[in-house]
Amino acid sequence: MLEARAFEPEFLKKLDRLVLGIKRARTVRSGQRTLGRMQGLGIEPENFREYNEGDDLRFLDWNTYARLDQLSIRTFRAERQVEFTMLVDASASMAFPESDDKLGLALALAASLAYVGMSDNDAVRIAAFAMRRGNMQLDSSPFHRRRESYLDFRPFVSAIRTGGETRLGAAVDSLLHQRRPAGIVIVISDFLVSRTDYEDALARLLAARHQVKVIQVLGQIESTGSYPPGLYRVRDAETGEVRETVFGPEAAAACRRKVDTLAQAVRGFCTQRGIAYTQAFGAHNLESFMERELPALGVVR
Amino acid sequence: MGFLNPINLLWAAALVILALIYLRSRSRPTISVSSLMLFDEAAAPVTRVRHVRIDPLFWLELAALTALVLAVGGLYAMVPARAGRGRSHALVFDLGAGMGARSDGRSGLEEARKRALGLVDAAPAGDEFSVITYALEAQVALPQTQNLDAVRGAIHALQPLAVAAHPSALSAAIMRGRGSSEIELFTDRAPPARALGDAKGTTPLHLHQTEHGDDNVAIVSLDPGAVGSSRGRAVLRNFSNKPRLAEFQVKAEDREVFHNTLMFAPREQMVVPFGPLTTGGLISAHILTPDAIEADNQHWVYAPANQAGHALVLSPDSAVRDDLARVLLAINPNLQIETADPAQFSTQKAGRPFDLAVMHDCYLPGISTASMLLIFPPPVVPPAARIPGLVVSAKNLPVILKPVHDMPFSVGQSTILPAVRGMTLPDWMDPLVEGTTPGESDLVPVAAIGRIPSGRIGVIAFDVRNRLLLDADRLDALVVVINLIKQLTAPADIQVVPTGAYVDVPVAGSAIVTAPDGSRSQAEADKWSRVRIRPLQSGHYAIESGTRIVEVYANYFDASESDLAPTRAATLSPAPASFAERSSSRAPRQVQPLLVVLAGLAMIAFAVESVVLIRHSALWGTGHV
Repeated sequence: MLEARAFEPEFLKKLDRLVLGIKRARTVRSGQRTLGRMQGLGIEPENFREYNEGDDLRFLDWNTYARLDQLSIRTFRAERQVEFTMLVDASASMAFPESDDKLGLALALAASLAYVGMSDNDAVRIAAFAMRRGNMQLDSSPFHRRRESYLDFRPFVSAIRTGGETRLGAAVDSLLHQRRPAGIVIVISDFLVSRTDYEDALARLLAARHQVKVIQVLGQIESTGSYPPGLYRVRDAETGEVRETVFGPEAAAACRRKVDTLAQAVRGFCTQRGIAYTQAFGAHNLESFMERELPALGVVR
Repeated sequence: MGFLNPINLLWAAALVILALIYLRSRSRPTISVSSLMLFDEAAAPVTRVRHVRIDPLFWLELAALTALVLAVGGLYAMVPARAGRGRSHALVFDLGAGMGARSDGRSGLEEARKRALGLVDAAPAGDEFSVITYALEAQVALPQTQNLDAVRGAIHALQPLAVAAHPSALSAAIMRGRGSSEIELFTDRAPPARALGDAKGTTPLHLHQTEHGDDNVAIVSLDPGAVGSSRGRAVLRNFSNKPRLAEFQVKAEDREVFHNTLMFAPREQMVVPFGPLTTGGLISAHILTPDAIEADNQHWVYAPANQAGHALVLSPDSAVRDDLARVLLAINPNLQIETADPAQFSTQKAGRPFDLAVMHDCYLPGISTASMLLIFPPPVVPPAARIPGLVVSAKNLPVILKPVHDMPFSVGQSTILPAVRGMTLPDWMDPLVEGTTPGESDLVPVAAIGRIPSGRIGVIAFDVRNRLLLDADRLDALVVVINLIKQLTAPADIQVVPTGAYVDVPVAGSAIVTAPDGSRSQAEADKWSRVRIRPLQSGHYAIESGTRIVEVYANYFDASESDLAPTRAATLSPAPASFAERSSSRAPRQVQPLLVVLAGLAMIAFAVESVVLIRHSALWGTGHV
């Protein structure tokens, strides 16, 4: 499986010099909703101000009160920690074509980005969504902050299995119900789903003040339509629908046109909403994709 | 044979596997893709995938092998049976009273006999016949046999009975004839569809409906009235659609008390009063004008003579003693009644023997009486009791009275008796009235009577305290008591029963039974020293045992059976008169193996396959395929 590559030392060395391209808040300011704001909690003192009724007495500076007989409140600089969530599509479509190992590529990308995200001691987790017994299930790993604990992702990543239809909207609903502070959500999916579903899901992530990045994953065979020629019954992995199709050069060209159309639609929506979008077509492109495509698109720098 | 044979089943399974392998090899490869939306613009095939392509050679081969497997396994079909080759016939005769109806000097049974004998005479050699009769119940008069003389003898021996033919008996008779190739049903009326059951679907059933006129006047009932006080009355009915004259006579102990010629309108029922009778005893009524059915032209009833008698009433409750004494006086005003508390009654001080002893909630052995009535009997009976086999429980339960079929009287449906003791009756007692406890469906006896050489014993299980016998809402309880007392006080040597009912006569040793037609037969007593007979002819039976003779008079009347108005055969068409006509019209069908047909089909398939192969070899220029 391709996701094992993300835990190889040689591959991780190449990721050591990458950092995620995000904008962080520098200080805590009352009423300002900036990425990384932590409600004034932190360990680095920033300033003093006069005590007002209702202030938390834990932050009262008792030494000042003893010396000056004035009530003062200490304020702190907020921690600049950002939460990263790698939201991986584990629907049944990610398992086909089997030789393309789309799910392996998606998990490898998610793990690699998690490793990059941990470079600044940010909280990082990997979440995968799939249909289990008719219900959408969002499996999420714990948050990890230090690269020493990066290998803790490995059991979670190895246990992810595909199943069911793609329900990106339902997955985003589950994610938002966790009521985490706004952070960075990187959606990794083949986006072989209705346009309204993914557009609605991405719009809701933006509405929740998340910084959203999208990576569209497709296999080499399905993106080029390079199926062996002949008459086949093709079965949709998610819906089970069967259709008879003649594979050949014309069908391959038609498949490529369709893939371009679908990818263009996703890209157009992301561009319109200011979402960083990139494509990862083909599992063999993992290293070059991490080293060249992501920096070029601003996902990492 | 058949596919229950493992070998044959193996052949069939191999054939199925062969077909599946072929179909599997012909099926299109299926690949799973992430989404069909990627193929929206890809070209679809011109025609749909065909799993079963036209491959004549394979399908011919498969058809031939299938035919051979079916032939080996055994495929059967309903085909006409060949006449004269071991066919069996069940001759089913209705012996109800209607078959004895005479028209133009011949009865329906005689006509049926003639038709049946015609069928037997015309039967091809090798055919078998059985003779089955039914009225109250079905009986096989002669099992399946090729001995045509025995068949003719059994047919000649058939006699009509003075009972109604029950549909359930017809069903049972047809069930017994279902093993035959054909059933010949001889009856005077159309059988109900439900009585035929599913016999019509499996065994051909031919109806031979005899015809008779509707010229019948019957005595429906006879009530003697109270001797010396109230008039008796007879109810007669004309079942004919025409006016009828009937000469009617009533006799009391061979003395004529009424004689008149009655004019009946079509289907009129007439009540004929007579009397009052001056003396009691056996009353007989006769229609002297001959008509179709003789059995319902005579009727008997016993008029209590109201002779002076001596009765004893024992009860710990004085109110019950008063009530029972009133009931006894209402039945026979000439009774001398002695009442007592059982705790203060001494059997030694009793004088002459009693004609009837009524004991309520007590039992005193040693009382000399001809008949005994136990009401609400105590659960503990002394070992010296003269009621062998009767077990009474101490538990009192409410009971809802139910009517008892084939009993001289019946009670209403909804009477609830508050306290009834459970009884287990001995074999020699017959339940007269039964009931159910609330919430239960099992019937429990409420009233019963038994006759043994030592006398007649009646048992009533419910308590009559709290003026139960005078309760207007529980008149059925009073009716039960009165009827049972009447049976207990009736003469022991005369019994009047309906035909078909069982009659128990206490005898010593064996007895000679003389039937109304004069035939005599010997009957052995059972372990209770009783002879049990079932009168199936109307008239006088005499049971002689030693010096004692018990007279049994059997009355017949059944409104449906005596009604001889023509009934149409709505469910079955009349049967052809002979087997020759029948074989030309509709032959019976039997299951026959299709071995030859299937083998022929297999050969044809192989031949066509060979022709196809030869054509292909000629077309391709090859020497062999």
